[in-house]
Parts: sequence; C-alpha cells; structure tokens
Amino acid sequence: MRKTDVRTFLRNNAVTIMFVALCLVCMVYSGQSIPYVMYELFGRLSRNAFIVLALIIPIVAGMGINFAITIGAMAAQIACLWVIEWGVSGLPGLLLAAGMSVPIAAFFGFLIGKLLNKMKGQEMIGGLILGYFANGLYQLLFLFIFGNLIPLKAPGLVIKGSVGVANTIDLSTERGFKYALDGLWRVDFGTGLYIVCGVLALATIVSMLLKKSNVKRGAITLVGLAACCGLYQIPAVSGLFAMVQVPMATFLVVGALCLFNLGLMKTRIGQQFRAVGQNRTVANASGINVDRVRVIAIVISTVLASWGQLIFVQNMGSFQTYGAHEQVGLYAGAAILVGGASIRRATNSQALLGCILFHLLFIVAPSAGKNLFGDAAIGEYFRVFISYGVIALALVMHAWSGIQKKKNPAEALRN
Amino acid sequence: MTKNKVQRIVAVILVIASIALAVLGFVNLPKREAAEGQKILTDLRIRTLLNATGDGVVESYVAIAKKDATAAAKAAGGGMSAIREAVAKAEEETRAKYSNATTDYAALDTSALEAAVAEDEVRLKAYYTAAYVAEQAYIDEHMAEAEAAAAAEREAKIAAGEDVPAEETITVDMSGFVATEEMTGLLAKADQAYEPVGAALQGIYPVLDASALSTLKGTIQDIVYQQGDDFTVQYDRYMAAGSGAALENPVSAFLVRYADDLLYGALALLVCAAVVLFYELLARKLGIPRIIIGLFFILLCFMSLWYDLSLSTLLSNTLVRMGMNSIMVLAMVPGIQCGISLNLGLPIGLVAGLIGGLMTIELGIPGWGGFLFAILVGIVIAAVCGWMYGHLLNRLKGEEMSVTTYVGFSIVSLMCIAWLVLPFTSLKLRWPLGTGLRNTIGLDGTNFRHILDDLLAFQIGDFVVPTGLLLFMLVCCFLVWLFTRSKTGVAMSAVGNNPRFAEATGINVDKMRLVGTVLSTVLGAVGILVYSQSYGFMQLYTAPRQMGFIAASAILIGGASTSRCKISHVLIGTFLFQGVLTLGMPVANMLVPGSTISETLRILISNGIILYALTKSGGESRA
Repeated sequence: MRKTDVRTFLRNNAVTIMFVALCLVCMVYSGQSIPYVMYELFGRLSRNAFIVLALIIPIVAGMGINFAITIGAMAAQIACLWVIEWGVSGLPGLLLAAGMSVPIAAFFGFLIGKLLNKMKGQEMIGGLILGYFANGLYQLLFLFIFGNLIPLKAPGLVIKGSVGVANTIDLSTERGFKYALDGLWRVDFGTGLYIVCGVLALATIVSMLLKKSNVKRGAITLVGLAACCGLYQIPAVSGLFAMVQVPMATFLVVGALCLFNLGLMKTRIGQQFRAVGQNRTVANASGINVDRVRVIAIVISTVLASWGQLIFVQNMGSFQTYGAHEQVGLYAGAAILVGGASIRRATNSQALLGCILFHLLFIVAPSAGKNLFGDAAIGEYFRVFISYGVIALALVMHAWSGIQKKKNPAEALRN
Repeated sequence: MTKNKVQRIVAVILVIASIALAVLGFVNLPKREAAEGQKILTDLRIRTLLNATGDGVVESYVAIAKKDATAAAKAAGGGMSAIREAVAKAEEETRAKYSNATTDYAALDTSALEAAVAEDEVRLKAYYTAAYVAEQAYIDEHMAEAEAAAAAEREAKIAAGEDVPAEETITVDMSGFVATEEMTGLLAKADQAYEPVGAALQGIYPVLDASALSTLKGTIQDIVYQQGDDFTVQYDRYMAAGSGAALENPVSAFLVRYADDLLYGALALLVCAAVVLFYELLARKLGIPRIIIGLFFILLCFMSLWYDLSLSTLLSNTLVRMGMNSIMVLAMVPGIQCGISLNLGLPIGLVAGLIGGLMTIELGIPGWGGFLFAILVGIVIAAVCGWMYGHLLNRLKGEEMSVTTYVGFSIVSLMCIAWLVLPFTSLKLRWPLGTGLRNTIGLDGTNFRHILDDLLAFQIGDFVVPTGLLLFMLVCCFLVWLFTRSKTGVAMSAVGNNPRFAEATGINVDKMRLVGTVLSTVLGAVGILVYSQSYGFMQLYTAPRQMGFIAASAILIGGASTSRCKISHVLIGTFLFQGVLTLGMPVANMLVPGSTISETLRILISNGIILYALTKSGGESRA
C-alpha cells in the first residue's frame, strides 16, 4: 500500500478506527472477562442488529439517518400491547404482533414521509423533532385512551389507582411472547459457527459452479471459512466463547434482512432510491417521482424498525411503556455511524460492524469508568456522550467534506 | 352564499347567543344572595339533612330490633350461638325493611325544621368566621417561626446530603392553636342552636333518641355550614349528596348556580365571534399557529374560571415564568438574524452560565455582587465557547440545525462527566457522601435566590408583579434591539437575510455570523442565571438538554421563522408559551387528576411548532 492510500484509508475510517481503539482501551481497563463480554455482546447484537439495518434504505435514498424510527418502535409497542391484551402468547403472538405492526408502521411511515418531503435538506433534525412530537401523541394514547376510553382487561396492563397503561409491560408471563424468536433454536457458539460456515461454503460452491462468481475469490472465502473453524478448535479460542448461546432464528432473520437490503438495491425501486439519493434534481429530470420514492423509503424503514423493536422486546422480556422507544433512534444512528457509514452511504457490513463496536463499548464503558475514575456514573455518561458525540462528529465531517468539494464560496452560501 | 356572508352570519349568531347568555347571567347572578337563592339552598339543605338523618333512623331501628331479639332469645333460653344468630337475623331483616323504605318527602311538614336550621346556620357561621380570624392571627404570629424551622430543616438536609425538594410551601404547625374565648362562646351558642334542630328532627322521625341525635350532630352541622362556605360551594355539596330532587325548579337553580360561568361563556362567545369575523385579517397578521395557540390560551383562561381557579394568581405566575424564560428566548434573536437559524446549540451558553453560578456559590459571594459575578463569569466563558462554536458553524453553512442540535447534546453529556469531576468543594454543591455535584442546587437568601423577582416587587390582590425581573427583561430586549439598529447589527441582519448580497456589498459574512453566535451564546448564559434565580434552583446534568428546544419553540410561537425574527416575537411568544403551560397544568389536573397531561402538552406544542417552522423553511419543490 502506498503512503497516500494509507492516509486516505485512515481519513475515511477515522471514526471506526478511533472507536476500535477506544473499545480496546475500555476493555483492558474494565477488568471484565472476555467470555462474559462475548456473552453480553452476542445478546445485544441479536436484539439490536435488526433495527440498525433498518436505517440503511433512507440513507441510500439521501434522507440521512432516519431518527423517526422511534415512531416505528412506537408502532411495535402498540401492537405488543394488544397482543398481550388478547393473550396470544409464544411464537403466534410474536407473528401476530409483527403482522399488526405492518399496517400501523406503514401508515405512520407514510405520514412521516409526507412531512419530511416538506423539509428537504432538514430531514434529520425534522425526524428527530418528529420523534419527540410523536412521543407526546404516544403518551396521550397510552395515558388517556388505552386503559381509559378503551378498557384493557389483561392483568398487569393497567394498575389500579394510576392513570393509563402501567409503566412496564411484562412479556415473560404466560400471556407474553418472551424468547418467542430467540428460544426457537438456540445452539452453543461452536455449533452455530459450523452451521454458518457450512451454509456460506455451500453458497460459495454453488455460485462457483453456476459460474456467477470468480473462482479465485470463492476459493479465498472457502479457505477463510475453514480457517475460522480451524481456529475454533484451539481451546484458548473456543474458551472465549464458552458462555455464548447463539439464538440462530434471530440471526437468521437479521441475515434475511441483509439479503433483503442487498436484493432491493438491485430492483427498480432500489435504483430509484440510489438515484434520488445522489441528486434529487437529476432524478426528477429523469422522470422519477422523487417525493414518492422518498415516502416508500421511509415506509420500508419504519416497518423494519417496528419489527426490530419487536425482536428487541421479545429478547428483553419486558419494556418500559413510556421510555423503551425514546433512545432507539439515537443508539441505532450512532451505531451505524460508528461502523463507518456516513449520512450518505451505508452498507450492511458497516451496520453490523458498527453494532458490534457500539455495543462492545456499551458493555465495557461503565466498569472501565469505575476502574479508571472510581465512579460507574462516569462510564454511563461517557457512553451517552459518545452516542451524541459520534453523531455530531459524523454530521460535522459530512458537512465539512461537502463544503470542501464546492470550493466556490458563492455556491456554498447558497446552500 | 359567499364565504364572507357565512362568516358574518355565524358571527351574528354567536353574538346573539353571547348576549342571551350575558342577560341570563346578569339576571341570575344577584339571585344568589336574594330570597330565591336562599330558597334553593334551604330546599337542598333540608333534603340533605333528611337523607342523612334517615340513615341514622335506620341505625336506630336496627339497634332497637337487636335489643329486642337478644331479649327474646335470652327469654327462650337459647345459648350464645342462638342469640348471635337471632341478632344477625333481626339486623338483616330490619335493615332490609327500612333501607328500601322511601320517605314521602312532600308529605313531611318541615317548617319547624327549617326555622331551627336557619338559626343554627347563623350561629355556626358566626363561630366559623371568628375561628377563621383567630386562626389567621395565629398563623401570622407564627409564620416567622415556621419559616425559620423550614430553613433549618433545609440546612440539615443539605448537610446530611439529602436532596432538597424543588417546591415547598411553608405551613404553620396548628397543634399549638388554642380556641379563643370568643370562639368557645360562639360554639356553645351554636350547640344550643342545635337542640331545636334535634327536636324538629325527632318530630319527623320519632324513633330517634338522644344518643342517636348526638351521634348525628357532627354530620348535621357539617351539612348546615362549613368553614369558607358560599352559595356555589354549598350548592355543589348538596348536589353531590344527591339532593337535587328537592328542587322545585331545577333549571332556574342551575342557572343561578352557574350564573358567573354564563357570563364567562358570553365573553368567550364574543371572542369567538370576533375571531370568525376577522379571521382573514388575523390569519394574515398573526399566522395560523399563533391563532391556534392564542385561542388555546384564551380557552384555558376561561376553563380556569369555569373550574373556579384563581386566574389572577395563574396570570401572575405566567408573568414570572415569562420573565425567567425570556432572556433564553432572546438568545435566539441574534442567531436567527445572523443566519445560523435556530441556535439549538444553546446549551453551550447555558452550561457557561451554570458554571458562573456554581463559582459564586463556591466562593460564597452574597447578594447582588454574587449575581453580577456569576453573570460576568458566565459571559466570559460563553464568549470564548461561542467564538469557537461560531468558527465551527462558519464551516458548516446550510447544515447548522442538525449539527447544532447534536453538538449541544454532546456538550450537555460531556458536562455531565464534568459535573462529576470538577473540583468544587462547597457542601451546598457536592454530595457529602459520594462524588460529584448535586442534581439540583438550591439557592437561598445568601445567594441570589429571587434577587430579580423580589426587587421592587409589589402586589395587587393575588397578582404579584415581579418588577425587577420584568425590568431586567425589558432592558435586555432594549439592548438587543439597540444592537440590531447599530451598524454591526444591520450588517448582521443583512447576512442573515441574503448572504450573497451581503458578501457583494463588502460585508464580512463569516465575521458577522461569528458575532451573532457569540451574542446568542452569551445571552444563553445570562438567561440560565435569570431562570435559576427565579426558579430558586440550579439544575445540572441533563436538565439543560431540552432548554434550547423550549426557547426555540417560544420564539417560533411568537411569530418568528427560521430566518426572520423581531424582539416582539420574543415577548409575545414567551408569554403565550409560558401562559399555556402555567394555565394548562392546573386545568389539566381538574380534568384528569394526578396526570402528566400538561407535560405531554408541552412536548406537543414545543415540538409541533418547530416542525411547522421546518416545513415552512424548505422543500417547496418536488425535487
């Protein structure tokens, strides 16, 4: 690699590299054992990866990070409430909730898209404030309509003597669907690794046989997969993952979403997303209905976000009725930016990498803060600061590079 | 029919309805104190009394039946279990017999009772009036003591490291209160007056004996008169007790009871008529959001009258809250004028102001010196931070809003760490156990608590005018206005309005934006100190995070857009926004007790207006 290449690489991935360093430092000082960190990490990854992946399409469509996914999460929570009220438990409950949240989230997404079309260029701040605004409506709904105007009968949903739906909704009772997805097929890490490697190897071989992919690259992939399995045979390595239980079904769903994102980009509408994202004026001139494409992008993202929130709550087993959705946009947005995405470009792998790094920091920061400064609260505040700071940094860097491109001052002022 | 005609017709209908309501109100209001009102009250009172006594009568019958049953069972030679059984059976039967028995009220002769009750009421009224006067005198006498005790308790709490509650009302301990001789005399007279009432009741229900009457005494006297009673309170009490059937003419009684609300309704309809008639003019001059929020404010005023809340106290609170928030809202003005749009990075200034306040307490500078020192330190820090922040914003033209928001959020969470580690030592600031500064830092007399509020403050009835606070607000507004009229100010507005034109006329755009940002940040620092002195507490940690949004929404409610604003927008917007919040809380609590609906209201209004402004600022084309 030449010197300039190294420099470009560093500049393009500054946030990710910084984050890797930060994670390493925190991990060293946290004093937590690696098997425990891995156990936590896989748990967090399984419940958070989906919602982070839901951010990709609006980014490609040029709308930046869709902070309005909080509204998708609200749709999921509305569906959750009713599924518990009806007492549909287990996997059917989860599927019913997923089915119910589709029309709700799609409707919300349609409204969000319409509104964001009125504030082009300000989508991110608009989405953020729209999330806050919707939170007010959500409170009205859960405090004064559900449980009061529309009575709820299921035990624990309404607490006598207080107004509205209870603060916490529990999914671990016989009416709920805790672990409905996670519990379907749980294997230890080794088995999971073999299964994933096997499937990937099979896919590579098939595509090689069908001559769709380069033989050389296919071979490298196969060798890599074999190396992974081989590494795992070393007791020191496998010991690191001893505590990990992999919820295969959840990861399968996450994988399916990755494939969906990839596949969608190859279709007509995917190309339109990309065209609109690159330049609205050009896209409009070439006959694309820009407003419609943007609305579709937001609708898809909102529906996916609602499913993501369902995956999250079925893993957690309960959720804060009035708070579970609030930070969804912030954490997902920060995670995808940490993975190296910008507010104009994002890929599946960036989302997954970001999710891993961001949640790794979440696991180790409090105890690192405690060991370094003698106060766990510092670690807590530090990770909140990191979440906001990463987004601020990404926005600054994006704006900066945008302005660097147009050196013309008059041009810069007009925008 | 044209739209204009419809408007006129609707307005005329509203005016006619309003006049009708007003006439009804004016006719019925004086009746309260006149014979008609007294008649209504008497009817209700007698019915309530009879109902209440009726329950006593049932108890009397039950007692008699129980006694008889016991005697009968004993005479029959039954054991304990047989007696118990017989008593239970007798009780059940008697209760069933008399509870469902309806009294024919019309057939009862209540004239003796009426006379006795009227006498009793006069006596009780005299007693309660005397008692009120005596209690007030006692409270006045012991208020200083109670205040000192509360202050001592606060000190003790601070020393023990407990959280000091944000709002506290000082109450005088009434356990030491002894009834005056006048009171005992009046009470004895009232008790005497009860005897004829009892006799009259016995005349109606012969079964009542002396012991039953003395049991009922408290209930009956509470029905006849309670402390602080007037027409509406008594009417509501009797109606709540289910005595409405006693009224000869329920409609006219209703009109008398709600005569004042009829007048308010008339006024409200007049306002509606005016709005309908001049809708176009208003919409053009004010814009639809301001009409909606203005009408909502007026609606809340009427609702607080309807629920008999003290409107003057609420409006006085509104004035205080307007004053305490106004400087932070004013901080939006230079930001908008210099072209950085809404300065949602205001927390940078707020944090600077808070540091100034903390240093004052740490160094223990009292009174005005302390307040001015805090402002000075705040301004210096804010100016430095604002200068750096301005340089950042100059490189990000066109993307300010989202960047400022997240930079503000990051600064707030960074400062959360700073509050934990900054080396302040005063126990007023730190937790004595554990690390870091307190969440809320209570200001007291030795710091700058209420230093502006209490300056030259005076009171008209319930309406307190915080003269110093309002003067400070007006002076700040005037200074900013002067600045916008200066050469630099005009150049700054030119940059905000049209940067390319400004550049062409030789104005240094970057410099002007820098000036605006620094000024906005500095005003933010002053604003949080004014807010804290009035609130009585400094809030650290995550509290400043949302304040930028609140300030931004206030100025937008006042009629500003993301690129244009005036000083008048600050004053109107802050008044309307704070007015809606201040009035909204008690009214919402009357509607849904114990709810957080007013907080929800704040979220909806504040974010809704920002969204509205954003939709106006861009996205007009399809592309």
